[in-house]
Amino acid sequence: MQKVVESVKRASRWASGHRIRVVVLLVVFFLFAPRPVRSQFLDPCCAILAAGLSTISSTLSNIIGGGLRSILSVEKNISTFEQTVVWPQNLINQARSLVASGQTIFNQTQAVMRVPVNSATLPATQQFEQNLLSGNPNQIAQTSAQYTAVYGAVPSATDASPETRDRIDMTDATAKAAMKKAIEIDALAALELQAADRINQSIQTAAPGSAPIIEAQADAWLVRANAYTQSATADLMRVRAIDLANASAGVKNGAANAATVEQQIYNLLKRR
Amino acid sequence: MAALTSVLFGLVFVLFSCAMVIAKTRRQLLALTLAGVLAVALVSPPPAQAQGSLVAAIQSVLNVINGLIKTALGSINAVRTAISNFDQQVTWPVALINQAKAMVTQMIGQYRSLMQSIFNINLNSATLANPAALENVMRNHRFNDFASLVSSFGSVYGGVPAATAASPADRAMVDMDDALAVDDLKTLKESDAADDLTLQEANNIESAASQSAPGSAPFLTATAVVASIESQALTQKMLAAELRQEAARLAHQNALGKRGASLTGEVHTEILNLLKRN
Repeated sequence: MQKVVESVKRASRWASGHRIRVVVLLVVFFLFAPRPVRSQFLDPCCAILAAGLSTISSTLSNIIGGGLRSILSVEKNISTFEQTVVWPQNLINQARSLVASGQTIFNQTQAVMRVPVNSATLPATQQFEQNLLSGNPNQIAQTSAQYTAVYGAVPSATDASPETRDRIDMTDATAKAAMKKAIEIDALAALELQAADRINQSIQTAAPGSAPIIEAQADAWLVRANAYTQSATADLMRVRAIDLANASAGVKNGAANAATVEQQIYNLLKRR
Repeated sequence: MAALTSVLFGLVFVLFSCAMVIAKTRRQLLALTLAGVLAVALVSPPPAQAQGSLVAAIQSVLNVINGLIKTALGSINAVRTAISNFDQQVTWPVALINQAKAMVTQMIGQYRSLMQSIFNINLNSATLANPAALENVMRNHRFNDFASLVSSFGSVYGGVPAATAASPADRAMVDMDDALAVDDLKTLKESDAADDLTLQEANNIESAASQSAPGSAPFLTATAVVASIESQALTQKMLAAELRQEAARLAHQNALGKRGASLTGEVHTEILNLLKRN
């Protein structure tokens, strides 16, 4: 113990004798000594950082969060409007079921129109009628021969004047063409009904966005059908035009015959 | 890591202290002091950065949020709101949708029954028994009583003459004329029945339209177009029947013309023969 006290006394004597050295040592000690870590609570830098982050957080929450909330609200509003007013699922399903019930009616209509209407009783006319009602374009080639079997051929050159033969041939041609046209139109109508059936089936599985495409196709078919109807109407008008022309030719023929008879009577009286 | 730093510091400090104690001259002391200052200058931590730059960084982030992002979100919101308003006020205004549906309902009430009653007026006009029966069967919209039609037709217009009563040409022509006439009457009965179905479909579509939405209406439009195609096809079938009928009428007249020409030829020959004999 005495040694320790003696050492302390000697050190203090040395320190008082070497004050500069002691000061230098103390300075070096305090400057070199490892410093403790700064407290996050007490450090002003961390406090500023925390305040800044807090402000950023609240700004994100208010500005971005608020903005996104507004957008979400508008989007929800649009979604609700579209689902309840524009494209309500229940009404779409209802429309699809109506299309399905329409299909049943179409099938009934087609079944009605397929009931045979043949009525001829004699072999030749039965064959001809069968051809006319067949709706089979492949049988058009046989129409002329069957027509001649029932309505006769153009008179020979010895039996009728050239004018009469021309008129008869023209009339036969128009009648035959009209009958051929009827076969053609029946075939086209059958194909249209087939297409309508397919289109109607595709509507049943369509979406509101794809239904207008099918509708456009159906419109195109309708335009086509109108064209065929016009074509059939044109042939009907041709038949009536030839009929009118025949009536007119009859009057012309009568006038010519009357003039000839008049001339012959005149000649007869002259001779006397 | 902190313990190692403390040990190193202790070691260096002890060595430095020893050197300070051992130093004998003022020159050595000065040299040691300078070495210590130099060591402090080299080892001391860099000065803390200014707190002002951190604030500026935070502020710049805030500026981006408050400026660019806020403006962008505001613009998106404005556009979506405009789209929503446009949809609800211009494209699909609920009031006008309801108005359209109400108009369909109102027109159904106003026209459907009226038109149906007009369409169902009885047009039968025959007064005698046979024609009345034929007229009735012709207009009954049924397609399963064709036998009655044929029978009634025969009662009014007669049958094909017997082989002994007419030439084969006449019999063929009569049979063909009758056949096409009866065919047409049958086709008209089918067409009447099909008409009823078409009208039923039109009513169904119109009723559905009164309860539809803009998104379900295209289905109804499409099926209405399909119904139009079907109706057009039926019209064509009727036109085809009319074509056959008109053509047969023309052919009939022409056949009479041919026969007239043939008879004229025969009379001409007979007269020539007669004159030759005289």
